[in-house]
Amino acid sequence: MSRAKITALILLAFMIFLCALFLGPRTINPAALTDVEREILFKIRLPRVLVAFLMGMALGASGAVLQGVLRNPLADPYILGISSGASLTAALGIIGGLSFLGAFTVPVLAFVGAVATGGIVGVMGWKRGGLWPERLLLAGVGLSFLFSALLMVLMSVSTDEGLRRAMLWIFGDLSLSDWQRVPYGAVLVFAGLAVSVTRAKALNALILGDELAHSLGFAPRRERFVLFVSVGLLTAASVSLGGMIGFIGLLLPHIMRFFIGSDSRMLVPASALGGGSLLCIADLVSRSVLPPMELPAGVVTAIIGAPYFLYLLRRKDVLSF
Amino acid sequence: MKKTMIFILLAIGMAFAVPDAGLALPPQRIVSLAPSTTEILFAMGLGDRIVGVTNYCDYPEEAKKKPKIGGMSNPSLEAVVALKPDVVVMTTDGNPKEFEALLRSLHIRTVVFTARRISELPMGIRDLGAALQVRDSAERLAAGIEQGLQRLGAASRLAPDASRQKVLYIVWPEPLIVAGPGTAIDDAITLLGRKNIASAAASEYPKYSLEEVLREAPDIILIGKGSGMDMVEVSRGMLKRLTSVPAVRNNNICYLGDGLYRLGPRVVQGIEELAQCLEQRSRR
Repeated sequence: MSRAKITALILLAFMIFLCALFLGPRTINPAALTDVEREILFKIRLPRVLVAFLMGMALGASGAVLQGVLRNPLADPYILGISSGASLTAALGIIGGLSFLGAFTVPVLAFVGAVATGGIVGVMGWKRGGLWPERLLLAGVGLSFLFSALLMVLMSVSTDEGLRRAMLWIFGDLSLSDWQRVPYGAVLVFAGLAVSVTRAKALNALILGDELAHSLGFAPRRERFVLFVSVGLLTAASVSLGGMIGFIGLLLPHIMRFFIGSDSRMLVPASALGGGSLLCIADLVSRSVLPPMELPAGVVTAIIGAPYFLYLLRRKDVLSF
Repeated sequence: MKKTMIFILLAIGMAFAVPDAGLALPPQRIVSLAPSTTEILFAMGLGDRIVGVTNYCDYPEEAKKKPKIGGMSNPSLEAVVALKPDVVVMTTDGNPKEFEALLRSLHIRTVVFTARRISELPMGIRDLGAALQVRDSAERLAAGIEQGLQRLGAASRLAPDASRQKVLYIVWPEPLIVAGPGTAIDDAITLLGRKNIASAAASEYPKYSLEEVLREAPDIILIGKGSGMDMVEVSRGMLKRLTSVPAVRNNNICYLGDGLYRLGPRVVQGIEELAQCLEQRSRR
């Protein structure tokens, strides 16, 4: 049954990917490509849609994993402060006009910020030889307040022009996606996904509680640490690919739970596929509604996703977890 | 009896009413809340009377030495009040409306500069001059700008093929932000008889679709000055993605100054710089 659902989901994701590739402000007919269209397709749209899909996958999967690791349905990859750390370092690069690594400066800065923040949260959440969900959550929330405040300081002293660029990045900017971003994004995202999916059984056990997990033959502390690192990688990869995109990490796993249940072995890959699809749709909408102007994709994900989530919430009886 | 009372009260009121200071003698202490108005005030010879400017007012050189009152969108009310201005000059292009209301509630006189297009600039300068009682120097400045605009417009009409040239003005390359409709830059491109490919966008400085640049294939790309950054370096990555566009293929790219970013006395200079670039690139 769930195999059929996963197959359907893969097909749907593939179709959405193709739609995002060929539709847009102007439709491209793959059967009759002009030179300009060929260039647009291969140099601009294909890398952009790939990056959107990778980013959405990372967010969806890390949301599903994190809600389990922290045993909290309100957890999302940004709650650990990783995104605010990344935004802070990225904004430093954008507002300060740094370009020591060329086009990679901002993505690398964001990645470093994300990993450093994840590291701090991990250290703060570590006690008596393991990570504690409550400590991780509180450390993450505390750090994000600190980093958001520093970001505000930075933004209020910057010029209006630098401010706008930083805002555009923070709200999620996929227009910078070129082929250079695809390989490192793919490596990080698939590595994180592989760890999460192979540890999915342990994640199921962790959701039941440490004692039960232990009696089922898992070492809860080690598993939680491994999963935490994989989530950190996934989130860092996604933030460095295109800034912050809301909704997917928090609510998409819940939508997927409605359809395929809470088994992490299915939920994590399904959330990844769903996240990738949703971000592709959101990006398609963001570049199509007001052409030739582009809206931030991060705003669109929530505008599309949130009403649907609320609709599901009304229709279904339980919010399973 | 009642009438007499009212009359007396009115008479007392009149006696105590201070004649409007702004109308009686020219303002001696002026605060300017935008780089563009700061430049205009200096050009009208009011430099000595300016007692406060924004953190971004960097032209002319003397402006940098004036006391600062914060940013354009977030000026500090305290800093402005502490300077005891006779008048605060604001713009509708960057200053918050609420700030004007705040100043008025503190009985500080405000003059709002409303010009946003190049065609509105001379009138805006004349109005500002009238409000600050420097009509003559305002008239001279405005007339000089009008003459400059006329001269540049006439010259462009003589240029062959100009109307067929498509132009894109890039404000920032990554993410791609360009000058759209309603900006002084768009006005300048139109004045010079060229077509701004972004003139149909939905906002003044839209985040623009890279795809659309490839489709529209501009003949000339203009890149504006960023705050103290090397724009050649910053634009490299973006230009690499546009190699098939005629402007990039033929290296018809100009890096310009900030003259057109501020609707002030340097606009003519900015258009001249633009015209020079367009002319050189067309000759090739």
